[in-house]
Amino acid sequence: MTQRVDAFGARTFRLALAFALAISAATVAAFALIYFEVSRGDISRISVILTEEAQRSADAPQERLRDALAARQTRDIRRIDYLSLFNANGDLLLGNLAHMPPIPVDGRAHLLTAGQMESLGAAAQATIVVARRRADGGVALLGRNVQDIFEIENTLLRALALSLAPTIVAILAIGAFFARRSSLRLAHLHEAIARIMEGQLQSRLPAAADGDEIDRIAHSVNLMLDEIERLLDQLKSVGDNIAHDLRAPLTLARIKLDRALESAPEGASVYIEAAQTQLDRAAVTIAALLRISAVENGPREKHFRDVDLAEICAQAVEFYEPVAEAKSISLTSSLSGPLWIRGDEELLREAIANLVDNAIKFTGPGGTAQVKAAEVEGRPFVEVRDTGPGVDPAERDLIFRRFYRAAAVGGAAGHGLGLSIARTIAELHGFDLRVEDNAPGARFVMRAAAKASLASGLR
Amino acid sequence: MQPQSGDALGAPVLLIEDERDLALEIREELLGAGYRVECVQTLEAGLSAARRGEASVVIVDRMLNGADGLSLVETLRSEGNLAPVLVISALSTVDDRIRGLKAGGDDYLVKPFALPELSARVEALLRRGAATRATWIKVGPLELDLVEREARRDGERVDLLPREFKLLEYFMRRPGQIITRAMLLEDVWNYKFLPQTNVVDVHIGNLRRKLDSGDGRRFIVNVRAAGFKLDAES
Repeated sequence: MTQRVDAFGARTFRLALAFALAISAATVAAFALIYFEVSRGDISRISVILTEEAQRSADAPQERLRDALAARQTRDIRRIDYLSLFNANGDLLLGNLAHMPPIPVDGRAHLLTAGQMESLGAAAQATIVVARRRADGGVALLGRNVQDIFEIENTLLRALALSLAPTIVAILAIGAFFARRSSLRLAHLHEAIARIMEGQLQSRLPAAADGDEIDRIAHSVNLMLDEIERLLDQLKSVGDNIAHDLRAPLTLARIKLDRALESAPEGASVYIEAAQTQLDRAAVTIAALLRISAVENGPREKHFRDVDLAEICAQAVEFYEPVAEAKSISLTSSLSGPLWIRGDEELLREAIANLVDNAIKFTGPGGTAQVKAAEVEGRPFVEVRDTGPGVDPAERDLIFRRFYRAAAVGGAAGHGLGLSIARTIAELHGFDLRVEDNAPGARFVMRAAAKASLASGLR
Repeated sequence: MQPQSGDALGAPVLLIEDERDLALEIREELLGAGYRVECVQTLEAGLSAARRGEASVVIVDRMLNGADGLSLVETLRSEGNLAPVLVISALSTVDDRIRGLKAGGDDYLVKPFALPELSARVEALLRRGAATRATWIKVGPLELDLVEREARRDGERVDLLPREFKLLEYFMRRPGQIITRAMLLEDVWNYKFLPQTNVVDVHIGNLRRKLDSGDGRRFIVNVRAAGFKLDAES
């Protein structure tokens, strides 16, 4: 079950990962667009301008170029423009770039790196240059410093790296957060379902009022549970009311028979007493039924206080010892107390007495019954073993049902509700009551249920 | 059934029960046991009857035409009326019992009950004040030293297990009084339910065997349809 929830979390996380990748791709694409639009666009624009200017310069007379250079140098404070004129031998006639760069004289734009510019004796900054042959065989050279654009490019790349890395980290973190949150939510849902399956019908699934699809489903399930609970309550109260209403007539019937007994002729009293015995049986059954539903429904925790389970066992053993002796059963106990738990003493006494009663009832003469109370791994438990006929594996759950009496051991007296009451009481205290094989015999174990009751509900 | 002792004879009992049939039977039973019985059917009538302060014991049904008999007990207690109250009820949950006793009820009897159980409880309530606190009790030839935890019959020591001693003590504090199995379970062993096996009878049987000397005298005798009593006259 936990695995399923984890797998769900992993799926959510993978989704987040894919999302992160998509976001990265989109961001890179956006940056690439800006990059080409801004920098490459600029460079090609500059190249076109330079190419055109070079063409004009190649045709212009030397004096005009000199004036133009002078004018440019006055304007060009940042020294981003180059203009030089070389003769056919490559000697500088005029200009601010002393040496002819190693580019073909083809009137096209070429990019010189910062290093190449430095070796020409100019500022070490990337520059676009265009060389064009003049009519006199000389060369007109124009250049434009584009270092700024490269710097913008670098800034852009840096910005990309700087923004993408945290974005990816953030997306993955958010993905992990949601993955964890949804698996936690599912785990909570499973826990709630497990509780309900264990019989805590008043329990509900966690659902936010304005939540998502899961919340809406949980809400619907809760409405369904409300309805189921209402129907069960109705059913139960019908049963309880019947049991309850039978009490008054039973009381009266018994009393009338008492009266009849006082004046009955000798032969009739046997029958009257037999009838009373039957009435008493019915009364005990009704009392037990009402008691089970009272234990199940009553908010009894308010009576809980610290109770020593070992002491309760000791007293039950002492109470049943004479009966065991009379049946030649050896009733022993192994109690490592005190064993403090929070509980209702009266009910726990009843539950444990019922278990001991049951053990003695089903154990034959010469057999043994043992009551053990101890604590294992912080979980207190009570164990009642006997050497009776034991409980068939197929019946191990059935014997705790109301009115169920094991088929193989007919003839044993009792209203068949003792074990139901014991289990109901055990569950009220967060204990688990089970029967196991004692080889031979039965072994009833009442153990504090694990705190995480999740697993038991969804076997 | 005969009253078991002089102080119970003619003691006035107030019965507040709206179910006519049941009220008549209880009345009959209590009259037969020698009590004077006043029957009323409503909470209000019960309250004014109880306020006259004559009743030695008040028996009240918890459910009186929709009214809660416990409120009567609470009212009486708040007015300082300390007459012992036996609450009878069709509710059997432990909560109800606790509420009944908390409200000031002295005993709680759950329907269906046998009439002898009811009169045994009434008798116990009447005699409660008289129950001895002595550390040495003598009933007929039986003596109980509660300090030394020793029992004697005709001056001879009887070896008893602690649980048998406890049981005998309960009887010796209530000589001649009818004691039901439910009373023993509640008071001696602190069990508020009826076990399916006849545990109480086995305990009594064991105690009897140790007390009986072989001359045929029985100290703890069975009372038909009710329970047991310690025969004080023997």
